[in-house]
Amino acid sequence: MNFQENFNNHLKQYIFSNDNYLLKERQKIFNKINLNKFDKKNNESLKNISISDLSSFNYFYQPSKEKPTLEISEKNVYQINLVNGKCPDYKDENIEIRNILIKDIELFKSNNQKDTNDIVADLNLVFLNSGILIDVNQKSKIKICLNYKAEKDFTIFQHNFFNFFKNSEVIIEENFYLTENTINNIYYNINIEENSKIKHNIFQDFASSNKLLLTSNTTCAKKSSFSQNSYNFSKGFVRNFHNAKLNGVFSKASLKGCFLLKDDNVCSNKTHITHNAENCESDQKYKGILNNISKANYYSNTFVSKNAQKTEGYQLSKGILLSDKCSFFSKPELRIFADDVKCSHGSTIGPVDENSLYYLRSRGINKKQAMKMIISSFIKDDLIDLDKKNIDRINKNLTQYLSTI
Amino acid sequence: MIFLNINNLNVSIDGKKIIDNFNLNINQGEIHAIMGPNGSGKSTLANVLAGNEDYEIISGKIIFKDHNLLDLNIEERAKLGIFLAFQYPVEIPGVNITPFLHASLNSKLKNQKKEEIDSLSFAKLLRKKAEELSISSDMLKRSINTGFSGGEKKRYEILQMSVLNPEFTIFDETDSGLDVDALKIVTEGINKFKNKNNSYLIITHYQKLLDYIKPDFVHVMRNGKIVKSGNISLASEIEKSGYKNF
Ligand SMILES: Nc1ncnc2c1ncn2[C@@H]1O[C@H](COP(=O)(O)OP(=O)(O)O)[C@@H](O)[C@H]1O
Ligand SMILES: [Mg+2]
Repeated sequence: MNFQENFNNHLKQYIFSNDNYLLKERQKIFNKINLNKFDKKNNESLKNISISDLSSFNYFYQPSKEKPTLEISEKNVYQINLVNGKCPDYKDENIEIRNILIKDIELFKSNNQKDTNDIVADLNLVFLNSGILIDVNQKSKIKICLNYKAEKDFTIFQHNFFNFFKNSEVIIEENFYLTENTINNIYYNINIEENSKIKHNIFQDFASSNKLLLTSNTTCAKKSSFSQNSYNFSKGFVRNFHNAKLNGVFSKASLKGCFLLKDDNVCSNKTHITHNAENCESDQKYKGILNNISKANYYSNTFVSKNAQKTEGYQLSKGILLSDKCSFFSKPELRIFADDVKCSHGSTIGPVDENSLYYLRSRGINKKQAMKMIISSFIKDDLIDLDKKNIDRINKNLTQYLSTI
Repeated sequence: MIFLNINNLNVSIDGKKIIDNFNLNINQGEIHAIMGPNGSGKSTLANVLAGNEDYEIISGKIIFKDHNLLDLNIEERAKLGIFLAFQYPVEIPGVNITPFLHASLNSKLKNQKKEEIDSLSFAKLLRKKAEELSISSDMLKRSINTGFSGGEKKRYEILQMSVLNPEFTIFDETDSGLDVDALKIVTEGINKFKNKNNSYLIITHYQKLLDYIKPDFVHVMRNGKIVKSGNISLASEIEKSGYKNF
């Protein structure tokens, strides 16, 4: 199906398709994209993406027999099992969970009229068919596991809203159980109120016929902190585009990710942090290991507005290239309009360090084993904060990956 | 058995000849020292012995324990008993000292068809050896050489030597850049782990180290070859008037 057909034929299947305001917005965005013909020039959102995947996919979404569920197996641990972007409704003293309503999207759209030049995010609204809203109440200390299930051939365009009210402490863990031939375009609005501490761990390890495209926009109020880690061990395409705005003084945001790529796999990464207030800290770091003919890109951006004095902002990209034919394109950007700031960016991409290999081998470790030691250390560097189950899971993926080098 | 024999060795890098018709014979249990000005090819020799693949061996032969050394790769040489204490030990962030050295020792034991050592016994062994070198057990939890001071790096090289117990150790300027106290710890460490069955090649600029370790032979190296061989008195001569007489 071509883009126009997808748009026309499936208009009926959208949620909120009877809403005039949204229909107009969708039409507007659709026309803009259609007019630009997915021009890759100067558009970071199209880097390393095959245009046919965005335009001429087979849109498919329908009600499912399987029902989403919620489990609270341990106190304050919420396991939410989504099915095709739908969640169960639930409410207690800590949390409210529900599917999104038209007013959520309308409110979002009226607050976000600026064109971001992000085609994937635009498509999310054009084809929107699901989404969940989670409110975490003040002072709640909880863990939320979001388990996304996508049924075969589904194309899911989902918009999630997470609101963390004052003084909350939340670990939010996301897992993707994608079956076969699915497209998952998920857009997040994450709002973190004063003094809240949020950890966001995203595990991506699914089969090659699936695609996952994530876009998140997080705002941090005074003294809040947001720490996001994405772990991409997928055989299929993954996009990680994550943005954070530090709007309140003494807030912190860290957007990090790592990926293991092989064969002809591709991933596209971007982080963007805006400092709008004084005394804030930010960290952006993506690192990856690439083999065969795999490809990755990482755009990182720090924007420091005029009033954001005493900013600290760090950007880093690291890559190990295991073959001559893989590539990792990295582009850091810094725009600073305040004068009292500490910012830096760095990038080290290349083959496994020869001197390190020599050193390990000179102690009797064989070359392959030495490579494995260096590569695992590269990934494990950042795993300090995870629980044992997730460390085991990462080790398993790593071992699997290393067995083929 | 021929322990170590280097015969007419010629080595170049990027087309530039660095080791020039080099000959040296070392028997089991002997301690040899090589002294020479910067750039004379001492580190190159050490790296060629350890198996570094960056150099081009133009001609020559190296026999070690009756094996044709040039046929073996880096790790095979290590397993056979060659150990190079590096002039500039590399930092490897994230690779933890203890499991790394455990894997090293086991690969060597395996090669000798001996039983491998379990983690617990290894940890004990390592702690004991570390103590003898005044290395804190905290340091054993760290990544290889990462954030170590110059003295700590050299001490850590000695620690590895003592754990792996190689038959032939090359010290490449292990004494350089150390203050008096650090030098003392390192030389005492070497003396402690030195034994009659093993052989040593000490590359140094200073007589001081040799006063402690007492080599059987001292060689002067210039422009890629040995220009003079003798005993410890050669070292005093160099200490007094430098290399200009050679
Ligand atoms: N990797 C290299 N690439 C190019 N030249 C080198 C390399 N290693 C050593 N050399 C050159 O070989 C010569 C001998 O160096 P080296 O063996 O380090 O001497 P020494 O250890 O005696 O000071 C020097 O001229 C040095 O510049
Ligand atoms: Mg040298």
